[in-house]
Amino acid sequence: MEQPKVGVFLSDCGKQLSEILDFDALTNFVKGVPNVALIARGSEFWRGKGLQTIVDAVKTGKINRVVVAESITKVSDVNIAQAVEDAGLNSYLVEVLDIKDHCAWPHRNAPKEATEKAKAMLLSAIERAKLLEPIEKLEFPALKSALVIGGGIGGMQTAVDLADLGFEVNLIEKQPFLGGLAARAGRFFPTDDCAICIQPPSSDVKTITHTSRKCVYRSGLSEIPNLNILTNASVVAVEGVPGNYKVTIEKKPRYVDADKCVACDKCVSVCPVEAPDEYNANLTNRKAIYINVPSVYPQIYTIDEDACKFKDCAKCVSACPTNAIDLDQKPEQVTYNVGSIIVATGFKEFDASAIKEYHYDNYPDVITNLELARMIDSFGPTGGAIVRPSDGKPAKKIVFVQCAGSRDRRYNPYCSGICCMISLKNASLIKEANPDAEVSICYIDIRTTGREHEYYYERARDMGIKFIKGRPTEIYADEEKGKLIVDVEDALLKRFLDLEADLVVLATAMVPPEGTAELAEILDIDLEADGFFKEYNAKLRPTETKQKGIFLCGGATFPKDAPTTSLHAHSAALKAAKFLNSGKIVKDLRTAIINDEYCGDCEFCPVMCPFGAITLEPTTENHFVARVNDLLCEGCGVCVGTCPLNAIELKNSTPNQMAAQIDALLSVNGTSKPLVLAICCQECGHTAVDSSGMAKMEYPANVRIIKVPCAGIVRVNQILEAFKAGAQGVMIVGCKTDGCHYEVGSEKAENKADSAKVLLKEYGIEPERLEMFKMVYIEGAQFAEAAQMMTERVAKLGTLKLMGDS
Amino acid sequence: MLHHNVKKAEAISFSEEVTCRHGGETLTACYQCGTCASSCPVARLDSRFNPREILKLALLGEKDEVLSGDAIWLCTSCFNCQERCPQNVEIAELIFALRNIAIEAGNSPNIYADFGGALIADGRIVAISKFVEKKREEFGLPPLKPVGVEDLNKILEATGFTKPEQKEASK
Ligand SMILES: Cc1cc2nc3c(=O)[nH]c(=O)nc-3n(C[C@H](O)[C@H](O)[C@H](O)COP(=O)(O)OP(=O)(O)OC[C@H]3O[C@@H](n4cnc5c(N)ncnc54)[C@H](O)[C@@H]3O)c2cc1C
Ligand code: SF4
Ligand code: SF4
Repeated sequence: MEQPKVGVFLSDCGKQLSEILDFDALTNFVKGVPNVALIARGSEFWRGKGLQTIVDAVKTGKINRVVVAESITKVSDVNIAQAVEDAGLNSYLVEVLDIKDHCAWPHRNAPKEATEKAKAMLLSAIERAKLLEPIEKLEFPALKSALVIGGGIGGMQTAVDLADLGFEVNLIEKQPFLGGLAARAGRFFPTDDCAICIQPPSSDVKTITHTSRKCVYRSGLSEIPNLNILTNASVVAVEGVPGNYKVTIEKKPRYVDADKCVACDKCVSVCPVEAPDEYNANLTNRKAIYINVPSVYPQIYTIDEDACKFKDCAKCVSACPTNAIDLDQKPEQVTYNVGSIIVATGFKEFDASAIKEYHYDNYPDVITNLELARMIDSFGPTGGAIVRPSDGKPAKKIVFVQCAGSRDRRYNPYCSGICCMISLKNASLIKEANPDAEVSICYIDIRTTGREHEYYYERARDMGIKFIKGRPTEIYADEEKGKLIVDVEDALLKRFLDLEADLVVLATAMVPPEGTAELAEILDIDLEADGFFKEYNAKLRPTETKQKGIFLCGGATFPKDAPTTSLHAHSAALKAAKFLNSGKIVKDLRTAIINDEYCGDCEFCPVMCPFGAITLEPTTENHFVARVNDLLCEGCGVCVGTCPLNAIELKNSTPNQMAAQIDALLSVNGTSKPLVLAICCQECGHTAVDSSGMAKMEYPANVRIIKVPCAGIVRVNQILEAFKAGAQGVMIVGCKTDGCHYEVGSEKAENKADSAKVLLKEYGIEPERLEMFKMVYIEGAQFAEAAQMMTERVAKLGTLKLMGDS
Repeated sequence: MLHHNVKKAEAISFSEEVTCRHGGETLTACYQCGTCASSCPVARLDSRFNPREILKLALLGEKDEVLSGDAIWLCTSCFNCQERCPQNVEIAELIFALRNIAIEAGNSPNIYADFGGALIADGRIVAISKFVEKKREEFGLPPLKPVGVEDLNKILEATGFTKPEQKEASK
């Protein structure tokens, strides 16, 4: 490679820095550093004329490495990198350091010491710049197609959005019909209209206005040319990488040919077999061949495999006027190649039979809100009548029990969030249809947090629905009265009530549907402790996962109402579209590299990599070596910190580069205090240093900062080497455990600090000389405090004596 | 009904005092749902006792009211409440913890002093009464003999049972 020719650009930020730092001394110092080909001083270098100076020097070939001492590095970094790249030099050959916030301002009352620290910082940046390597870009085609898993209102809306944007979309649903929970819930708050309507595709020529809403059955979903809908289908395998997945889908037989069925219902009239109607909460029976309700999508009959007698009966086959029934259909596997995957698998009601004292499994008149919704629905099994399932008689006294299995540490500790609203809605619907019904709601707290939601609570009170603040301890049957008794304390009156009920409705918790864990395994994405899919970042990236090409939507991440599900659906579609839009994936190859010679047969890094980017592959000599997938690697270096054989390096954060920087940082002290090295992660740790400087908080200039991609990259031997290089104390500053930008880095760093302390003791070094800190940007004050504290602590311990020192 | 003023500083210190105790750790998990109260056989019969209310008072720092009244002594330790509490509050254990605090504050009800006295004197919690002796005779059972209490008393003294207040003060 060409000899490094470093250009050093020193900005005094409009003279404010030269009032503190001795710029002549800095210039003279830099002049003496080998390989420095150019020194320029100016007011600012990240824009305008200053930036042009850099560009010109690069263009003329005077320099091939750029070091800029600036004030607002987080903005200038990007600007300078882009300009340098445009001028023909790889943007990774630039090093920007913050001499204002990391030096001049925090040490403004000790200008001499600050100048010495600035020298060390400049030297460190120059030494690093010399060792920097250009980083190329990885580019390969991405498929402009997607797989949406789950055909509820979330999945359907995502699918329509993506299809509208021109992507090839495959929507798969494991049930024979689309709609998910909404297909069963009847009416929805907060609009009081039907649950099962969506915004039709813009390809719909008859969509009159852009605000139009349509029931799923007339939405024209099936006619969108680039939307392929598969029911009775689930994912069995996924291979490939973001942008290029190969998905294998298993499709259960429907036994009815979709192209021939005309939904005439003749098959149903001849079918002799009855089975409980799951769709209608088992409140009635249906035939073995059925559709849920006439308006379902797709309007094609299906056969219940468990109930049908097949060849022993086959009455439907001869009754069908179009020969649509095929009892020989077999499960099929189909594969799709897609660029991204959207998980929209929703949630389900918690099985309340776990709460023994509520007797859900043995009292037929104890039901759930979803079961009640089927009764309220005028197309439902009771034609809209609210009855006691035990004897079919009208239910006059109805008691709702909130938080059944939610906010309960024995089952689901979380608040399911939507069940208060569901009960308020259902209670009001009952009262509206039967003003004489006595309806009570037993609650711990009523939660109505959306727009219009509190109105449902108000309206319910207005309608005469009674509210009892108390969680029932037991539901029991009073045989004599033929009623259920709900045993509850009204905590506000401190009075015990035995509420008589014909029907008890449990507002059950909402939990992940069956198959969630298996799907997470197939997709290699994480679940939260509650069993729902884990959002990559709950605050900023609620529809993303740790896998770049896999997105989440709706109830799959946590119970949600329809408005939030819609928001999520559109967000997931936008994220997937953004990811695939250009038809290619471009990524900087700032990745981990394995040294095959050292690597062998251990499994640390594949397990530790937060992004699943490392796999083990067999070699010809029957060994295994780690392989990094460049596309998946995020360049955090957690693997580097984990490898016991030092067989992995991260480009531009190699041990050599870091050692050169550390040596430089510790080469000049200029203060009477012991040198403390602060290894800061580039995310929260380093920004906490920024913010302390920006706020002009003071800490001693003997504290020297080195930036690493993630605290997880730090290796135990590097810590030891830092002491050897002259550090009297070492701080590791990372993100908060839960807020680590690379999931586990901060936690791993903490573990390493702990083991390093044990080793330090062995070497006769006081373990207190090393400390791990976790902070966020706004905790600049904590950084200044920690730096001060470490300085004092180390000073008290006296000068470090290393083994071998005389 | 509850008519209590929240006295902040004191509230913190009393609920902390309780949560530091063995058995008192789970106090702050209570969200006042009342499952314990409606599970409680005593609360149904005697309005002086309501486990939910006791926890609320403890949470609000109403130390005197909790420790001086009869309420905490009425619990029969049936553990019905504890079985059903959705927040895993160890209600019955909490009541033991509150009783211990009350005893240390010199607030044990007479009946407990009677029990203690009987144990020291006769080695039994319930003294042998005329009634019991008569019943035993009717059933053809031999009369109860006094048990030796010398050894027992050594244990009771060594463990501080005989002087509970002093035991606390010496800590
Ligand atoms: C009783 C009740 C009443 C409600 N009332 C209201 C209301 O009034 N207002 C309101 O705003 N919200 C209400 N909701 C919430 C509303 O139903 C949800 O917000 C909405 O259904 C979420 O949509 P979704 O697509 O995310 O999930 P779902 O509706 O659950 O759909 C998920 C779909 O994915 C399918 N699926 C699951 N796993 C797989 C798999 N592995 N492979 C393939 N397919 C799979 C399921 O079969 C289902 O069809 C109610 C919910 C309930 C339970
Ligand atoms: S929404 Fe209401 S009923 Fe549901 S868990 Fe939360 S508080 Fe309980
Ligand atoms: S049952 Fe538990 S949470 Fe509910 S009031 Fe009693 S102690 Fe509190």
